[in-house]
Amino acid sequence: MSDQVTVDEVADAMFELVSECYGKKNLKPMDVTKAMIQKFGEDKCSKQLCKEAIRKLMDSGRTIYSYVGGSYMTLPPPAAK
Amino acid sequence: MAVETKERRTDIGPPHYEQFLPPVIKKNYGKWKYHEIVKPGVLLTVAESGDKLYSVRAATPRLMSIESIRLFADIADEFCGGFLRFTSRNNVEFLLTDESKIDPLIARLKKEGYPVGGMGPSITNIVHTQGWVHCHSAASDASGVVKALMDELFPHFEKMDLPGKLRIAFACCLNMCGAVHCSDIAILGVHTRLPVVSHAKLGSMCEIPTTVASCPTGAIRPATVDGKPSVEVIAEQCMFCSNCFTVCPAISLSDAEKDGCSIWVGGKVSNARQEPMFSKLAIPYLPNNPPRWPEVVAAVKNLVEVYAKHARKFERMGEWIGRVGWPKFFELTGIPFTKYHIDDFTHAGESFKRSAHLRQKKGE
Amino acid sequence: MADQKRETPRLDQLESGPWPSFVKELKKSRKNPMTEDLLGQLERSYEDKVVHWKHGGLVGVKGYGGGVIGRYSDVAAEFPKCAEFHTMRINQPAGWFYTSTVLRKICDIWEKHGSGITNMHGSTGDVILLGTTTPELEPTFQELTAAGFDLGGSGSAMRTPSCCCGMSRCEWALYDTMALTHDLTMTFQDEMHRPAFPYKFKIKCSGCPNDCVASIARADMSIIGTWRDDIRIDQDAVRAYVAAGTFDMSADVVDRCPTRCMHWDGKKLGIDDSNCVKCMHCINAMPKALRPGTDRGAVILIGSKAPIMGGALLSSVIVPFLKIETPYDDIKEVTQAIWDLWAEHGKNRERVGEFIQRIGLGSFLEQIGLEPCPEMVMQPRTNPYIFYEDESENAEG
Ligand code: SF4
Ligand code: SF4
Repeated sequence: MSDQVTVDEVADAMFELVSECYGKKNLKPMDVTKAMIQKFGEDKCSKQLCKEAIRKLMDSGRTIYSYVGGSYMTLPPPAAK
Repeated sequence: MAVETKERRTDIGPPHYEQFLPPVIKKNYGKWKYHEIVKPGVLLTVAESGDKLYSVRAATPRLMSIESIRLFADIADEFCGGFLRFTSRNNVEFLLTDESKIDPLIARLKKEGYPVGGMGPSITNIVHTQGWVHCHSAASDASGVVKALMDELFPHFEKMDLPGKLRIAFACCLNMCGAVHCSDIAILGVHTRLPVVSHAKLGSMCEIPTTVASCPTGAIRPATVDGKPSVEVIAEQCMFCSNCFTVCPAISLSDAEKDGCSIWVGGKVSNARQEPMFSKLAIPYLPNNPPRWPEVVAAVKNLVEVYAKHARKFERMGEWIGRVGWPKFFELTGIPFTKYHIDDFTHAGESFKRSAHLRQKKGE
Repeated sequence: MADQKRETPRLDQLESGPWPSFVKELKKSRKNPMTEDLLGQLERSYEDKVVHWKHGGLVGVKGYGGGVIGRYSDVAAEFPKCAEFHTMRINQPAGWFYTSTVLRKICDIWEKHGSGITNMHGSTGDVILLGTTTPELEPTFQELTAAGFDLGGSGSAMRTPSCCCGMSRCEWALYDTMALTHDLTMTFQDEMHRPAFPYKFKIKCSGCPNDCVASIARADMSIIGTWRDDIRIDQDAVRAYVAAGTFDMSADVVDRCPTRCMHWDGKKLGIDDSNCVKCMHCINAMPKALRPGTDRGAVILIGSKAPIMGGALLSSVIVPFLKIETPYDDIKEVTQAIWDLWAEHGKNRERVGEFIQRIGLGSFLEQIGLEPCPEMVMQPRTNPYIFYEDESENAEG
């Protein structure tokens, strides 16, 4: 387990994905989690790790939750950056 | 000015309920013996220890000003040591141990405009949603219909004169924040005009695949309108459920003349006697006629009266209808039976009559 | 004051009559300009017969994905003070008990930061603070947490659990609903505040099969108290009810028992408890004479919901009987197993009840590690199209 990726690495990769999809596709936290596990591999990245990364992104305000019939991860509106 | 001195606290959860319980409850928690309704709106609960707790239940409009909440706080201080609670149907209950204070409390509440009642075989507060006061998808107001209805049904709130409990619920659209689908009588706001798509805005406001996927009947398909990607609605397939609007603000279903209310009957959640059941359609559509919705009020009043006259003791609306049969229900209430009453969505067939068990009427 | 007073001829007609008036409530708070404009906008809706609110937006407090519902007026030019009118959901204390002191605290905070209008309570159970602006959200939140309150759930998350008053006042409470609700709420703070599910998930705890919080119709997970041993009968008290004559023992009680497991010979009431389905009817009719047994627990049911999207559902049994004891590990394990499965495989906006319908209850049970049993169905299947599995392949596993 020593070669696990760090929470920050996952958070950065998540941020990149959310930025890429911004305005194009709504991503649920679970979509992002699945994408990370695929990207880093199951042995290096877990659901728990993703949960921590999401929390870090949200607490820092780099990403926010949006709601349109369901809850999604997105970037804060430009004015708030 | 924000308070920035302390560290920001999150995930602390609700305060522990124990600190809000009156001493008589703390002492007898889990050790109650029986209860009885001593008079309308007054519940006596007796503990194994012999201690007595009186709960006095008053109506609230659910939508409350902080001024009224403060008034409740003052009343609770004056009559019962400051202890009160709210019920799942938006009533307020004052928790007393001193029997002599019950009547003065009732008088006081009545004077302030919050009448006491709603227990036992009666009509209690109508659980309802936000309506025009605060919802974006409301097909009718909620508070206004409820106020108009309860003004009319009020004698049944103050007296316990019905065969059984009669629970009424109101939801202002099919989202049913008030989950009205298992109530003795449910009033449900409905849209009946086809969704209107604002093609100019849709591209920037909504995700097309999500919008298409949101429709349970596949009535929405991608389309290019004026050279811009958008969606179109196949009229025959739309059942006015509003799912598309929920995920896409560029679609609208609201319409001043075509929005209205439908009425449903015979649902219940309690397991007493018969199993819990869904409410079934009684009246497919009545117009919105603010401020007092006379058509809706008259229809509900009729249902209440017919039920009160024909049901047996303890029987809920749905149990009564089950006993006498739906044809009799439509006959007694005078409600016309239409094609809209016959289900045509998933599992529709389960509601078709599949036997020759019919209460035939003797020929004239 | 520069703010104009809105004319509300239509709403004014809802001030008269015996039932408490929401219009009077709005007017009690009209000194707040937001509420004054809300009155104006509502009057406009009464005139136009359509709603004047728009879809929500991206509002919330930092780090949370729920608890705040964004609301914007579509006639903001006319009613600028309620242009933004967001809702905050405050997690209620279990059982909705309060003291005057704590209620005043909430009122003071809301007077300072919002419209002064509330719902006591919302459909899910939270205290609803109705109407504030985006900049006020964070300060309100911080004052609320300082006063010991937190936000409730919204969005695709665990919603604020709620319960009946249970053991605090009801002799029929067959487990401690308030204790369980509080415990589950505290245990699953993360699941409530940071939406990670396909859609909402509601938990409601009812102390007995009367189901006073409508859990069977309104909760994705319904926890309904029940018992396994015999109904306790006080024959003298039974006879007293009969003597009082408020109901007919044979017609109204014995004949209304769903399994016809009671008999009354004019002197003595007998119950064949092995056939009693714990419906509560006879106990409701004679609370002083009959009491539930003492071997108590709960039935766990799953999947109820309102119609959106695939039609309304009632919850159905997944655990026929469970002892409800602290630290509630069994319930938490089942809940977690359900969430893991549904979060991974549920479609967007698919409630757990619909998910089960799609994948099949049999397969659902297998994947969350519960054994199927006949209590879970009304009857076995009648359709012969069975998805047989090749047992030989799995045999070695
Ligand atoms: S209202 Fe419902 S049925 Fe009609 S188009 Fe929208 S989603 Fe489809
Ligand atoms: S609880 Fe219900 S099923 Fe059991 S004996 Fe009483 S009426 Fe019959």
